[in-house]
Amino acid sequence: MSDQVPPEVRPKPAVPAKPPNVGAPSPSSAFPPQGFGGGGASSLPPSAIPVPIGSHVASHGAGHVGGLAAAHNGGHAGSHRSAGGSILLGYIGIDTIIEQMRKKTMKTGFDFNIMVVGNSGLGKSTLVNTLFKSQVSRRSAGWARDDKIPKTVEIKAVSHVLEEGGVKMKLTVVDTPGFGDLINNDNCWDPISKYINEQYEKFLKEEVNITRKKRIPDTRVHCCIYFISPTGHSLRSLDIEFMKRLSHSVNIIPIIAKSDTMTIEERLEFKQRVRKELEMAGIEFYPQKEFDEDMEDKSDNDKIREAIPFAVVGSDKEYQVNGKRVLGRKTAWGIVEVENPNHCEFALLRDFLIRSHLQDLKEVTHNIHYETYRAKRLNENGGLHPISSNGTQESNL
Amino acid sequence: QYNHNINHNLPLNLKYEKQYVGFATLPNQVHRKSVKKGFDFTLMVAGESGMGKSTLVNSLFLTDLYKDRKLLNAEERINQTVEIIKHTVDIEEKGVKLKLTIVDTPGFGDAVNNNECWKPITDYIDQQFEQYFRDESGLNRKNIQDNRVHCCLYFIPPFGHGCMKALHEKVNIIPLIAKADCLTPNEIKKLKDRIREEIDKFGIKVYQFPECDSDEDEEFKQLDKELKECTPFAVIGSNTVVEARGQRVRGRLYPWGIVEVENQSHCDFVKLRNMLIRSHMHDLKDVTCDVHYENYRAQCIQEMTSKLTQDNRMESPIPILSTPDVETEKLIKMKDEELKRMQEMLNKMQQQMHDKDQ
Repeated sequence: MSDQVPPEVRPKPAVPAKPPNVGAPSPSSAFPPQGFGGGGASSLPPSAIPVPIGSHVASHGAGHVGGLAAAHNGGHAGSHRSAGGSILLGYIGIDTIIEQMRKKTMKTGFDFNIMVVGNSGLGKSTLVNTLFKSQVSRRSAGWARDDKIPKTVEIKAVSHVLEEGGVKMKLTVVDTPGFGDLINNDNCWDPISKYINEQYEKFLKEEVNITRKKRIPDTRVHCCIYFISPTGHSLRSLDIEFMKRLSHSVNIIPIIAKSDTMTIEERLEFKQRVRKELEMAGIEFYPQKEFDEDMEDKSDNDKIREAIPFAVVGSDKEYQVNGKRVLGRKTAWGIVEVENPNHCEFALLRDFLIRSHLQDLKEVTHNIHYETYRAKRLNENGGLHPISSNGTQESNL
Repeated sequence: QYNHNINHNLPLNLKYEKQYVGFATLPNQVHRKSVKKGFDFTLMVAGESGMGKSTLVNSLFLTDLYKDRKLLNAEERINQTVEIIKHTVDIEEKGVKLKLTIVDTPGFGDAVNNNECWKPITDYIDQQFEQYFRDESGLNRKNIQDNRVHCCLYFIPPFGHGCMKALHEKVNIIPLIAKADCLTPNEIKKLKDRIREEIDKFGIKVYQFPECDSDEDEEFKQLDKELKECTPFAVIGSNTVVEARGQRVRGRLYPWGIVEVENQSHCDFVKLRNMLIRSHMHDLKDVTCDVHYENYRAQCIQEMTSKLTQDNRMESPIPILSTPDVETEKLIKMKDEELKRMQEMLNKMQQQMHDKDQ
């Protein structure tokens, strides 16, 4: 690092330099005026020592302090360049705030709520169990496999706390048995829409309270996985109706379920057809183009958008393949390996959903979908008003 | 083919675990977003003139924020009221961006009669809360600017005492003993004890460091203990570089020796900097949001509702929002107008203060 301050002279008994603008020392100060004086233009005599930091003996006219940029030096002390060109030595340590935040995140843990929608028998529960490598679906919570098909769509939410690498996640899986299972499926999306809005309303009420909780419990649906039946032909009208209506209030990720019924070519064709239909119907699935924040986001997300809908296979059974234990489905003609990218796109879905976009799913839900709901509510009533935390009436919901 | 680099961030032992799901990367995902967005921090400094506030701020953040400042003489200061001056600087280090705002309070404690000198400061803090409250209650919340004061460094003169009570429930106060290089170690110890006594006696709520986690290592716990026992920090700042023990360091040169700012046996500057920036910056912001702001907000709302119920002679506080009716809507409208009036008043005040600056 080159010094731009003049070489320091051996310290002699100090004669404090008197910058012209300073008046009589204030009564509370026991010292002669310190510091480098009142104006950048004042030039101290070259022999004045100690050397003021940021002195403009060489150059004048640094003006005001604009942005300081750090010169990155590998791992150790970065130096800062002020607008005037002098170097201020040392390392402040503001990058440590990342570590401070990380510690906090790990301590508090987080909520994640995922909804699965699709006809019975498409493997929704199995897929969720496979994604989180635990028995987290409602099936595991004790409902029998041969439950009668409900007359209307039911909403069943099951929560588990998972921990990994010191991070705690409260995972809630919201299942929707009965969806699309009737002959007349008109408005079968209504209970789902209602549930989603109820969670927004719950959060809103907490936010508007006089004494608010430090961390408002988040039950809002962060992600809705929609299971497309692998017909090989096209989307059904129910698929389009549902996604059209719900894509503006929740993040929808369409997937092709049970994709081991199609060959790779059939799968590609089906995907293309489905994508075209989604486009024609104007369905904005997650990650939505309009929320890409910068070029980096856009390029990452474009790649994902090209691959959606992911063709997945789910399984919670393990088999031995080439000396490794893998999750798979055993058939007479071979073992479908769930996590093998040559067999299906489960690994892509998992990486996308959990390992790279988990936080973004929550943020889009909070900053966009929830705000849309809130704005609507604000406009409805002519304004929100806070409620006291004791003595509230029962809600009408 | 879609590919990503996230797996690089996984802790090694987890990469190869069979049962690995991958949500342990969440802190990294949060990290990525925060680094992109950058952070902000607002620091207020309060204390009489000549306490070395500006020098300390420059030393802490390695800036020269006060280059073009004019210092007033005593006569000029007689009629001065306390001003609020903001300096903002963008600092970047290792890819992390911080927008630092320093709120200066020139004139504080300088007048002959200083009884009211707290008011402009508490007003300023309240104004920032009020602005945030309005923004938060409004429709467009995408880009709310957070100007709330996260921390106030209060400079106690080395031979006096201050009175922090006016501020203690509005902002995180960190009391500092200023210009500690005019005190011997013994004097410092006595002064610290005395200040701690006064803080206890008058029930002043200064910023409390959060408790250490039980799973922290011993070294960290020891450091934390030393930190807590050392408050209030006795600090020295410097804008000059001197040569001491063969190195160039920030310091002050006296005939009887050289004071090094970053020498822990000379003063507590390093402890302050480490605490303020490297370990507790995030917590300071959290406490501001979760405690001070929430107190302000709750108080504000209660004042508004009590005013409205008085005016309308209503039996109960405002009913909940899911049952709107004519009566409720009238109340809501009144509240909005009240808020608007308050805002206009504040704007006028700010305009007056601004005019005074000219």
